[in-house]
Amino acid sequence: MENQKFYYDNKIVKLFILATLVWGVVGILVGILAAAQLAFPVFNFGLEYTTFGRVRPLHTNAIIFAFVGNAIFAGVYYSMQKLLKTRMFSDTLSKIHFWGWQTIIVLAAVTLLAGITTSKEYAELEWPIDIMITIIWVIFGWNMIGTLIVRRVQHIYAAIWWYLATFLGVAILHVVNSFELPISLFKSYSIYAGAQDAVVQWWYGHNAVAFFLTTPFLGLMYYYLPKAANRPIYSYKLSIIHFWSLIFLYMWAGPHHLLYQALPEWAQALGVTFSIMLIAPSWGGMINGLLTLRGAWDKVRDSAALKFLVVGVTAYGMSTFEGPMMSLKTVNQITHFTDWTIAHVHIAGMGWNGGLVFGMLYWLVPKLFKSKLFSEKLANIHFWMSTLAILLYAIPLYWAAVTQWLMWQEYTPEGFLAYPNFLETLTQIVPMYMVRVVAGFLFLGGFLIMVFNLAKTMKAGSFINNEASEAPALVLAGKRNPVTETVHRWMERKAVRFSILTFVALAIGGAVEIIPMIFIKSNVPTLESVTPYTPLELEGRDIYVAEGCYVCHSQMVRPFRWETDRYGEYSKIGEFVYDYPFQWGSRRTGPDLARAGVIGGPMYKNAAWHYNHFMDPQKMNEESIMPNYAWLAVKNVDVTMTPKKIRAMQTLGVPYEEGYDQKAVADLMAQAQTISDDLKASGIELAPEKQMIALIAYLHKLGRDIMSENAAVTEEHGETAEQQQAHEITLLDTPEDLEAGKKLYQANCVVCHGPEGKGIPPAFPSLVDDEWIKGNKPADVYHSIAEGNVAKGMIPYKNMLSEKQITQLASYVLITLHEQNQEK
Amino acid sequence: MKIVSDLLTSIEGIQIFYIVGLLIFVVLFIVITIRTMRMPDKEMENIKNSILADGESEEITTSN
Ligand code: HEC
Ligand code: HEC
Repeated sequence: MENQKFYYDNKIVKLFILATLVWGVVGILVGILAAAQLAFPVFNFGLEYTTFGRVRPLHTNAIIFAFVGNAIFAGVYYSMQKLLKTRMFSDTLSKIHFWGWQTIIVLAAVTLLAGITTSKEYAELEWPIDIMITIIWVIFGWNMIGTLIVRRVQHIYAAIWWYLATFLGVAILHVVNSFELPISLFKSYSIYAGAQDAVVQWWYGHNAVAFFLTTPFLGLMYYYLPKAANRPIYSYKLSIIHFWSLIFLYMWAGPHHLLYQALPEWAQALGVTFSIMLIAPSWGGMINGLLTLRGAWDKVRDSAALKFLVVGVTAYGMSTFEGPMMSLKTVNQITHFTDWTIAHVHIAGMGWNGGLVFGMLYWLVPKLFKSKLFSEKLANIHFWMSTLAILLYAIPLYWAAVTQWLMWQEYTPEGFLAYPNFLETLTQIVPMYMVRVVAGFLFLGGFLIMVFNLAKTMKAGSFINNEASEAPALVLAGKRNPVTETVHRWMERKAVRFSILTFVALAIGGAVEIIPMIFIKSNVPTLESVTPYTPLELEGRDIYVAEGCYVCHSQMVRPFRWETDRYGEYSKIGEFVYDYPFQWGSRRTGPDLARAGVIGGPMYKNAAWHYNHFMDPQKMNEESIMPNYAWLAVKNVDVTMTPKKIRAMQTLGVPYEEGYDQKAVADLMAQAQTISDDLKASGIELAPEKQMIALIAYLHKLGRDIMSENAAVTEEHGETAEQQQAHEITLLDTPEDLEAGKKLYQANCVVCHGPEGKGIPPAFPSLVDDEWIKGNKPADVYHSIAEGNVAKGMIPYKNMLSEKQITQLASYVLITLHEQNQEK
Repeated sequence: MKIVSDLLTSIEGIQIFYIVGLLIFVVLFIVITIRTMRMPDKEMENIKNSILADGESEEITTSN
């Protein structure tokens, strides 16, 4: 058979490598900024564009789609050509793919910081960019399948199946999750509501991990690990079996992100079962990788590239064991909403994805530039820095997760939450966040060393854009009849058939998970009392989405006593039927807000409190790490969009009356006026059209619709007001009691009454002057604290604190604070 | 939550999704495993080694 001459396209590989390096630095820097913001809120810079709620999505998108994405493409474009002994199918497609992808990244960065977001994690980009992604992705797939068709080898090597699965998997996920109803160029509503939206989103979120961070990397492992070690993969049979089982099983596991949440039991059970089953194929991959190196461990010692690959594969094994464990419901109640998940994804991201990318680059760059790595020693330094950084990142966060969880659910012997103030549980772990910043810098340092090392290597070497090679044209395996079928036809059928099989395997899992949820749409029990958002609340909700409040706040009370005591009634599936998109959140950096509108509940705060808190959370509570949102008191709600939003909601099935869009703005202004008046009564001037008014309206809507159902719950606790007033209160003036009172006061009361009891008059009264609304007899003060005044914003503490604790507080207020004030 | 999920589990025919899906998986898994196991080792070796033989690797190490 005659050899055919052809050229490998190395240039496209080089471009993707350069993009990987640039976006890697950017992504890590943004990550460090986000980490710094959680340790020191000043790094939010008081600017809307740089608050944590917007920076975090930028970090995740930059790392996943920009850094990791470009690395995948570099790895795929190089290995595919070599494996199939051909140039990529079309240079034009390659170029469009490259420049299209970089454009998407830039647009993503700009829009995310501008607050243009769908709020669906890892799919935050708005619809025009979603469409671009679809187009570019199809181009990538077209180029890949085209290359398969013109290949010069018989067999399609394992790595390439993974690439194909990646293409198909991401395509399905992206399209299904991105169904949205645009109302303008920059705003759309998810067509799914509440629980359905959550299922679709986490089916996507979980499988984005599978098909963007796992399958392509297994493909890369199957090529670059044998190449770097110069040994064949351990077992090819294992690779076949674990490929099919992995891609099939992954699609089912999404609901493990929603355990104990407002989701049908069967969906949760499905997620758990399949997550556990996933250990098998995942470990199949890890074992295959590690055993490839059997008898070659001496090589690992000498090569930084191999070291990184080994750490990568090991981290993969760890994460894929940890993940299924986190899907067990008992473990999940600890790991969900805490920093555990954050630690988990960083072991996977920095270890598995990072390790594989670094290993690949250390091997590939010298190869492409026909030289040796500039410095093996620097590469080793990078290796140790990055390994240390992973440990320094993960260990404190696991610690933080367990600490915070223990604090959340600790009770006093009297049966009250030991830490009723959420912030206490956070303040405890902020030191861990500082360590995380250090870990980030360490990782960045190592990365920069790699960039330097690779740049030097590139400079020393010589690069050929089009590398000549030759190989015989594809010969048919004997069985096929060459007369009836052209070579081309037959090959094409094989590659295409393979793609179809993969697609079917993926589609089954997706369908099983999603269809029942959509199918039972009409059966999601609507709670009678749940009403659609008013126009003002809807606008407020859109601000909540745009500011990324969901990044720090959940809206999902799980059915645990320690959650219902802290926040209020647990969340029901029927509450969310008008939520486009859902806002359940995934990490509780701040307290849950699902019950923020339940008057008389533990979470309710009046408008004046919200105003002061948004203007400067640190003034209310020095230790708070919430960014300030002062500009919300400056910017106006854009009411020209309101009728359109109402119509969009109607299209999606929200039962506003016919023609309501015409009345919406008037209703909006009327409701805004009441809040503005309410604020004025507390001495705060805020015009009704300000965004903050809308946001307050939204917060006051949260949980309000199911409030009546709770009334019963509140009454069960404690005695009635009369009974309490009846017994005389004697102040407890021992130093121990006053000390205990001080602790309680600092944990619960300073946000409104200030550390010295001076309050923020007139909204929050001073407790140390001579004016008392309710009187200053011990029994009066006891009553004020126990019963509160919900309408005015004073929380009734009788359900949160014991009688003794309330007496201690009254004593602290009347004795210690009073004396301190006299002295001055 | 319990009430809610009870409502949903009682919707007729929902288990069928589980069962059919799982069946498909089990059947496919068995078929793929058997077919894979029956492939000749020789062929596997060739494929495994083929990626190293692209004219650039220094040597080819055949696994046992
Ligand atoms: C960096 C994470 C973060 C972001 C982003 C964030 N918050 Fe917070 N939030 C917190 C923390 C921490 C607390 C608890 C300390 C405090 O009260 O300031 C809190 C407290 C609150 C509270 C008081 C809850 C209570 O009753 O104790 C409300 C209401 C609130 N946030 C609303 C919002 C809204 C609305 C947004 C978006 C505009 C937002 N937060 C963005 C972290 C955050
Ligand atoms: C969310 C803000 C907020 C928090 C937290 C809060 N208070 Fe209040 N408190 C108020 C408001 C508002 C009033 C005024 C109520 C009224 O007008 O009747 C008030 C009133 C009082 C009064 C009656 C004052 C008077 O003049 O009669 C006492 C006593 C009091 N609070 C004590 C406490 C103690 C002790 C704590 C901590 C356990 C606490 N408060 C926590 C907002 C708060």
